[in-house]
Amino acid sequence: MDASEREQYQAAIHGDREAFEMIIRAYSRTLFAIAYGLLQNREEAEDVVQDSLVKAWKTRWRVRDPEKFPAWLATIARHKAHDIFRKRRTVPLSEQLTEPIEPEPTNTAALDQQLHSALAALPELHRTALTLRYFEEMDYRTIENTLGLTNGSLRGILGRALGSMRKTLRPALASMD
Amino acid sequence: MATIHDEIDAWLAGDLHGELSDSEQSALHAHLLDCAACRKTHQELKTMNKILEETLAQEKPDPAFERRILAGFRDRAPQRAGFVKLLVDLMRLRAVQITAVAAVLLGLVQIGRLITGEPVTAPRAREHYAEFELAAPQPPESLPSQAGALGRSGGIAAGRPQDLALEAPAPPPSAATRSKFHEEAKTAATTAAPAKAAQTETSNAFPEVAVIEEQAAASPVESPAPALANQKLIRNATVELEIVSFDNAVQKITAFANEEHGYVATTNSEKQTNGKLRGQVVVKVLPENLDRFLQKIRSLGELKNQTLGTEDVTKAYFDTDARLKNAHVMEQRLIDMLKTKTGKVSDLLQVEKELGRVREEIEKMQGELKYWDSQVQFATVTISLAEKDMEEPAAFLLRERDQLALYAPDVEKIYNEIKGLASPKVQITNAQLNRDYSGRISAQVSMLIAPEESDGVIGRVKAFGRVENFQTQTQRTAQGGSGMSENARTKRDKVELNIAISREEQEQAFQQTSLRIRTSSVDEKAKELRALAEKQGGRIRSSTFSRGPDGPAMANVSLRVPMRNYPALMQSLDSLGKVENVSVQRQDRTDAQIDEANAPADVSIQVYSQGNIVSQESGLFATLRRTLAQSAGAIMWSLRMIGVAIAFLAPWTIAIIGVIWIARRVIRARRKL
Repeated sequence: MDASEREQYQAAIHGDREAFEMIIRAYSRTLFAIAYGLLQNREEAEDVVQDSLVKAWKTRWRVRDPEKFPAWLATIARHKAHDIFRKRRTVPLSEQLTEPIEPEPTNTAALDQQLHSALAALPELHRTALTLRYFEEMDYRTIENTLGLTNGSLRGILGRALGSMRKTLRPALASMD
Repeated sequence: MATIHDEIDAWLAGDLHGELSDSEQSALHAHLLDCAACRKTHQELKTMNKILEETLAQEKPDPAFERRILAGFRDRAPQRAGFVKLLVDLMRLRAVQITAVAAVLLGLVQIGRLITGEPVTAPRAREHYAEFELAAPQPPESLPSQAGALGRSGGIAAGRPQDLALEAPAPPPSAATRSKFHEEAKTAATTAAPAKAAQTETSNAFPEVAVIEEQAAASPVESPAPALANQKLIRNATVELEIVSFDNAVQKITAFANEEHGYVATTNSEKQTNGKLRGQVVVKVLPENLDRFLQKIRSLGELKNQTLGTEDVTKAYFDTDARLKNAHVMEQRLIDMLKTKTGKVSDLLQVEKELGRVREEIEKMQGELKYWDSQVQFATVTISLAEKDMEEPAAFLLRERDQLALYAPDVEKIYNEIKGLASPKVQITNAQLNRDYSGRISAQVSMLIAPEESDGVIGRVKAFGRVENFQTQTQRTAQGGSGMSENARTKRDKVELNIAISREEQEQAFQQTSLRIRTSSVDEKAKELRALAEKQGGRIRSSTFSRGPDGPAMANVSLRVPMRNYPALMQSLDSLGKVENVSVQRQDRTDAQIDEANAPADVSIQVYSQGNIVSQESGLFATLRRTLAQSAGAIMWSLRMIGVAIAFLAPWTIAIIGVIWIARRVIRARRKL
């Protein structure tokens, strides 16, 4: 983290609105990716981003170390997303999963459906890592930092995520080739 | 290459995302060439990656996303107004928080001080100190100016030694203080010199005179010894004495004054109301004899107060003296000028005018010196004399004040008879007859009786009825002084008598008795009781009779008998039935004289029959109802007590819960970070 960024975070913590809005511009997509990774729903994810930012602004004085500001933002977004996810439990995910996956290669909508189901079946962390990678095209290091992972662990995570998806989607993929 | 094969997904992901190093990439490609399975996986993954990219690209936030988020943020977290924002931001700084807490604590302490009334002294004390510090350097600053003033006028110069004399008035100037005075004179002279120089500049018109003045001022510095020899000291003393006889004392003082070569200057005396004399004698004696004279005076009587003061006017005296000499020289020169008669008429007039001024000055200084001479020649002793027992009273007045309460059957008759006692020696000062709304009559009479008649009149008043509460109060007051005196005469003043007359009925009973008599025939026994009371000289005050629906009857009889008949009455009551619950109450009045045999005793008697003890309402239902009513009452009581307990505990509970909640919130917030 370079000095200017650090300064920006410090200013935001001390109530500088402009600095905070700069941070919003820089990080809202990341937060969206995190929320989307968990919720798989754009409207809900956007709401989560909105809520998280307002909450972050109101409780910004809790951050003692400006270095941890982005990670702290990500944590808030994850918590918010979890809250919504928990409320949604009345409609269990498993129902969506039990829908028969039929290979209909010609129908791209069906493939989308299958892809989403496969994504939903992934562990939360894997899903979040995938969205961060595919939405924002972030490099591994930044993703690791944002999610608080140890260096070098992301490759394995993404590998497992992609592997499990590949296995789920194998029939569809085979038909496509 | 087993590891690559095992973790092929991770390697392929790294490859797809461009996160493999060059060596890793070549290793992967080498493995792919070898392994058909992995090649297949690679193919699948590539396809899936493409689909994933395509699909998720649709889900990506649109370009307006940031703007929307920002707008939403601005909408939901509005910017605070300037001052509030500043305040809130400030409150988030650690230093400001600490300061605020300190301020609150200080405020609490101050409030506590206000409440307890403890004065907030510390800062004020510091102020005083500062004031003192400021004031302290002032005297040294003013000293030089004073010294400067010494040279200009001798009169002011006398001021400082006078102050010193006031501070330590008792001892005559010892060698030490003398030398101190001398030293001061020296310093004054030296400081005077520059002052003189300044004067020289201002009085340039007569430079020669100034030179002479300077020489004169310098002379005491050159020869201090004669100044010491010719000290000019004004001594005076005041003495306060208590003596037996004023005239005797004045004679003796005159004799002492003559012995010491002095004289009595003035005498005055004044006679007090008790015949004692008080006065003042002023004596002039030679200063060297002063101490001996004072010793002698002390033998005259008891010394109450003595002060001895010495005022050193040496400096001022010689100053004036020198200035007088200068003035004389000046006068001579002016006269010479006039004699030679050269110059213009206006010049001569000027010289004439100056001569007049100088002569006036000379006269003034001569007068001053003469006054000092007279003061120095004789010491003044002011003797205040007062005869012993100055404060003794001339006479005493004995005043008697009596008061009594009279109880009689006919108030009005007694009232008129007492009024009939009036004569030149018996003055009725106040008489009033009152009848209140219930027709009760009472009267009050106040009279003044000549002392010689008082016993007779009081005796006659006492005979009119039953006397209660007779009180005598005498007061001896001194006239024209205070304290005890064996010789002063005591005079009796008129006796003041206050009489309160009331009807016998209103008198409070000496003794009150209440009792119950159980009998079967209430009405009959009550009648018998009334007959018995009348036989014993008692009077029925009230009598009631009542009968309840269930048969119990009750009669209340209240009567009053003289104390002497009380035991007989009580004995005769036994014949009426079973006497129960006898209670007797008596108030012994220690402060009043009581005619005990005739004092009234009240007896209230309840005659009753029992009737049915068990209430008519009986049976299972009545019992049940009573039980239920009592239980309900008990429950209501418990509820009330619980309510009280809740009202007492609730605020505390709420406060504690609040604190715990806040603490938990804080801890959770910390953990989140």
